[in-house]
Amino acid sequence: MRGFGDLETEVMHRVWDHDGPVTVRELFDELRGQRPIAYTTVMSTMDNLHRKGWLNRDKDGKAYRYTAVASRDEYSARLMREAMAEAGDTEAVLSHFVAQMDGEESAVLGEVLRKLAGGERA
Amino acid sequence: MRPALALFGYALAVSWSLPPLLARLTGRGVSVRLGLAAWLSAMASALMAAGLGIQSLFGTVRADWPSLTRAVCRSVAGDACTPVVYRSALYELGVGACALLVSAAAVVAVWRYGRRTRRGRTRSRAHARAALLAGTPLPGTGAVVLPDPRPAAYCVPGRPAAIVLTTGALNVLDGAQLAAVLAHERAHLSGRHHALVLVTRGLAAALPGVPLFTRGAAEVARLAEMSADDAAARASGRPTVVAALLAIGTRTAVPASALALARVPSSLLSMLPGRADAGLAAAGYAVPARVERMLRSPRPVRDAALGFALAVAAIALAAMPVVLAAFAG
Repeated sequence: MRGFGDLETEVMHRVWDHDGPVTVRELFDELRGQRPIAYTTVMSTMDNLHRKGWLNRDKDGKAYRYTAVASRDEYSARLMREAMAEAGDTEAVLSHFVAQMDGEESAVLGEVLRKLAGGERA
Repeated sequence: MRPALALFGYALAVSWSLPPLLARLTGRGVSVRLGLAAWLSAMASALMAAGLGIQSLFGTVRADWPSLTRAVCRSVAGDACTPVVYRSALYELGVGACALLVSAAAVVAVWRYGRRTRRGRTRSRAHARAALLAGTPLPGTGAVVLPDPRPAAYCVPGRPAAIVLTTGALNVLDGAQLAAVLAHERAHLSGRHHALVLVTRGLAAALPGVPLFTRGAAEVARLAEMSADDAAARASGRPTVVAALLAIGTRTAVPASALALARVPSSLLSMLPGRADAGLAAAGYAVPARVERMLRSPRPVRDAALGFALAVAAIALAAMPVVLAAFAG
């Protein structure tokens, strides 16, 4: 993991960990306990995440209050739907270690496993 | 006219007759790199021949069209056909319509290619980005974990690219198998296999129904898998790769010690579809064929001969369009 994207990940995870809306100041106070970081860095990171459609924000007095657009579970489910789609359903170039298999291929593979595991039993 | 006909004939032959032959040579993944080179060379060769053919055709039309239209015109209208008739409107219309048709077809193909590859890149980047944000980093691996009971492991290109594992995959893989899976996915990313897949899929979308590109895209993807398997086998050993394939594929834990790999080959290999050349390329047997390939013992002389044949084919295919354009005229 590298660079600025790291911080975006950390900020997203912390926003998800909060039940309600969170301000830049609150997240800055949390992060400052972990590592040296500038307030403006946290602010621009959250602004980026808002611009990229990951965070919603509402003006509350002088500050913005941020909430995640969707929960972490919702994003995971969406990613899995795309990843597990039948071949050709998605245009993303996902290289699966083992591609989605039809019933026949699964059966052949199960048979291979039985033979390999059971030696010459057949 | 002759160079154009020769080039078009060659492009058609390469596009329709070559794929089954090439699939036989490359299907078993004996020489992955040369196999990839042969497929890509064949695709480039067909496209180049078609391009040179079109160019040559337009040259002929420009040079000989007046006499051609005059002959057609005279045979229909006899003496009523004067130079005024066949020189002006017919000439312009004929050339214009021909050029328009060919250009329209080319534009449609290019547009389809562009749309497919652009969407592929955008969707991939969005997926990688979302996976890196929503996933839990797996320490020391650079991979992220997403919660799902179905075992799956994949990589997706982006800025940066992502390697994704499901919790289901972590449940069925032991440490060595996980390392093999990660080596496989890293090989895809460092080998830029996704770029090959993106381009060949784009060509298949641009020229639907042309076997060289539709089947070629599938074969290139298969060869990329085999190439990544080889990288994983170098890092973790073939038995571990086999165990990992079986674990993810059957969704059960497969302790490497449970596999009696030393005794298996003859009885097992006869059962796998990989032995039948016809069934081999069927996409549905991709995973059993990869298992078979990992277990097969190498046959140095035959493999070297096959590699040599593929290298010769790749070079000949690359050179052919230019040779035809130069000598057919």
